Order: sequence, then structure tokens, then C-alpha cells
Amino acid sequence: MKEGLVSFKGINGGIYIHVKGGEYSSILEELERKLLESLDFFKGAKIAGIKGDSISREEKKELLNIMKYKYDLNVTEDFKEDPLDRPNMFEGIVEGMTKFIHNTIRSGQVIEYDGNIVVIGDVNPGALVRAKGNIVILGRLKGVAHAGCDGNTKALVAAYDLRPTQLRIGNIISRRPDENMDTTGLPEVAKVHDNEVVIEPYLPRK
Amino acid sequence: MVMGRAIVITSGKGGVGKTTATANIGTGLAMSGYKVVVVDTDIGLRNLDVVMGLENRIVYDIVDVVEGNCRLKQGLIKDKRFDGLYLLPAAQTKDKTAITPEQMIELVAKLKEEFDFIIIDSPAGIEQGFKNSIAGADEAYIVTTPEVSAVRDADRVIGLLEAHGIKNPKLIINRIRYDMVKRGDMMNVEDIIDILAIDLLGIIPDDEAIVISTNKGEPVIAEEKPLSAKAFRNICSRILGNEVELLDLDVNEGKFSKLLKILFSK
Repeated sequence: MKEGLVSFKGINGGIYIHVKGGEYSSILEELERKLLESLDFFKGAKIAGIKGDSISREEKKELLNIMKYKYDLNVTEDFKEDPLDRPNMFEGIVEGMTKFIHNTIRSGQVIEYDGNIVVIGDVNPGALVRAKGNIVILGRLKGVAHAGCDGNTKALVAAYDLRPTQLRIGNIISRRPDENMDTTGLPEVAKVHDNEVVIEPYLPRK
Repeated sequence: MVMGRAIVITSGKGGVGKTTATANIGTGLAMSGYKVVVVDTDIGLRNLDVVMGLENRIVYDIVDVVEGNCRLKQGLIKDKRFDGLYLLPAAQTKDKTAITPEQMIELVAKLKEEFDFIIIDSPAGIEQGFKNSIAGADEAYIVTTPEVSAVRDADRVIGLLEAHGIKNPKLIINRIRYDMVKRGDMMNVEDIIDILAIDLLGIIPDDEAIVISTNKGEPVIAEEKPLSAKAFRNICSRILGNEVELLDLDVNEGKFSKLLKILFSK
């Protein structure tokens, strides 16, 4: 096993854990071993965060959670900069800030807004629409739509013709089936039910 | 440890079939049991994902990997049909300056540890995107069509590759129409090789099946019948070091008419 993946550095704010490359499992193993070697010391200290480019945000979060809950350490880093964990997530999906776009969104274009987005036009394949709130397309949605992008899984995506390459609501990702998609030809709404994106007809009853 | 082979597929001119060739060669090598990754370096105009039918699976792309927004493994998309085949897609919302040749060298070096073949799809042109695509490559395959303009660009690119230290690029001639060559209306294979003076890797006939399979997002090579699929299988076989004869593209002359000819020529 490789050694020296994990090192500790004390800075005035607390202890930073530096991670160098390597597989996540070996990083975790080494971290746990080193923590256990001097657990009392770590219990008295503040863990200010994890540094290192080779591990992903999710993995950092997992490591911090392990330290926080398994070893009961004082972890001060919160993932404020992570849009999916922001405590003050956008709530205005019933009534709130909305951006209107009167244009076709083409491949390579990105529309982002800290509220709801209404597109009067089509969203072509290769385009990305990302909103903290709902996304409503008065046209064809064939690109990627990400509603509730700061973690709001109650956000919805509605379109006159809902055939997206990929749909993301909150942190849930669903993709278009590989076979040809049967559509009703009617407007549809995508919502999250039981951690899955579900597509429903636009009108509850007709 | 045996390192993988990094091969760039390039042409200079656009629309000659680089992406189609990348998808088919990648798929073909994976069908032969090798671990293959196809890398799209055409940032801003990505297509390889569409041709492979994997567009709906993209979450991270090459720029995310290079910038460290995700791990390399998270950026790799597993093919829907063949084990051992992976795609590293280009970013669509950035441009060619989003990565540097140095980053490409590092990326390809990492991929070589994991894969037997790294097939890099180059963008058209000879600017930054092209430079990125060839940066980490050990070998180069040039795709051209039997047109003076495409051959001229291929010649330019061969020169650039040599200046960059990639010696002995191999040639793929795409979209040959046997009937036109026979009439003398199209450059033939010998003419093109005469101009470019490099080794021929294979010839691909102009084939409707390619259009159909491209639109379906399933590379043609996996199909049994089309002549173009056979041509790509031969190319893969040659890449693996086998000697395979060039395909007989004379499609109009079926076995029956050949038989007639033999009978009546006496």
C-alpha cells in the first residue's frame, strides 16, 4: 500500500488535512489509521478542512462526515460553496424571481439564473438551461435542463415538447432512454418522486 | 507494465470522417477484446458522443477532468453496447483554449496506464484544438477523401505532425466511390498515396450504411453486412498487426456477374 497520502498541517484556524493522489479507499484507510493513532489530540482540535485536487467534492464531504460522526471530531468546514448543500437554497418555485428568454437556445449555449426560467422558444440538443427554480419551455426541450440546481428537488421542468437529452432536478439526474422515446405529443411536466424524475402529463385530468 | 497506444485521428479538413473513423476504430478494437477509450478533443463542437449514442450520459467532460472538477473515472462514459469501451467527451460550452497541450500530455499519460488504446478524435483545422489533440499521441492516422482539397490539407497536416515528432502517420482514405474511380472521375488510391507518400492503413467506401448508423448512434462496424463495416474491421485488424488485403470495392459486380464474365470471356 502507498503511504503518505494523507498529511496534517496546523494553521491558526485549525488543522487542514492534505490529500495527495491515490485511491479513495486507501486515502480513507490511511486517514482513519492516523486519526486513531492520536485520537485524543484530534478530539481537542478543530478540523478546518481537506485540501487536495485529486479527490472530488463528494469524497471530501464523505471524509468530513466520517470524522464528524464516526469519530466525533470538531469539523468546522462546511461545504457552503457547494451549490447542492447551500442552506439557503432558492425557495421561490411557487412565487419568485423569473427570467424570460425569448429566443432559441442553441447547442453550446448556457442559460443560468438564480430563479425560475421561462424560455419562449426551443432548447436544442447541446444547450443547457440551469435554474435554481423551475424551468418552463414554451417549445421543444431537447437539450439538458437542470431545475432546482442548488438542491431544490421540488422544482419542476415543463415543456410543450419534453424530449430532453438529460433532465436534472436538484441532485437527481435522469437520462433519455436509448430507444426512441414515445411522447404523447402533449405538454408534459417532470418532477421528482421518490428520488426519481417522473414525467407526467401537463393537465391532471382531461 | 505495457502502456497503451495513443493514436490521434486527424485530417486538417473538416467533414472527411475523423469522428466516424474514431468511433468505428474504437468500437472495433473494443470488439476484439481490448480496453479502449475514445477521446473527443473538439471542444465547443463535440460530436463523438452523438455518433456513439452516448450524449444522454454526459455529466462531466474533458475540461472538468483536466481542471479537476471531477476524477478521471467520473468523466469516462461506459459504452452502452461493448464492455471495455469508454468515451471521454469534449465540453460543449467552452472553447479550444479551455485546455492546453501540456494538460493533454498529462491526461493521455494517465489514460495509457488504464487502457490498451487511446483513440483521440481531432478537430478540423491546425490551431489550438489540433495542437491539443496531437500533444499526447504516439501515432497518427490521417483521414482524407479523394478530393484535391482534402488531400492538400492532409499533406499539410502530415508536415505538421512530423515537425511535432510524430513520425510515419498512416493514411485512411474515406468515401471512395468505385464507379467514379473506374470512370476516371475520382482520384484513385494510387494517386493519393503518390502525393502523400505515407503508408496506407485502409480504404473506406462511400456507404449509405454509415449515414444510417451515425444517425442511430451505433457505429457501423458492429454490423455484419455493410462494406464500410468490413473496411473498418480490416483497418482494426491491421492496427493489431495483421496483414489484411485491401477490400474489393467493386460492389456493382456481384458474384453472379463475375461468373457471367468468366463464362463469356472464353
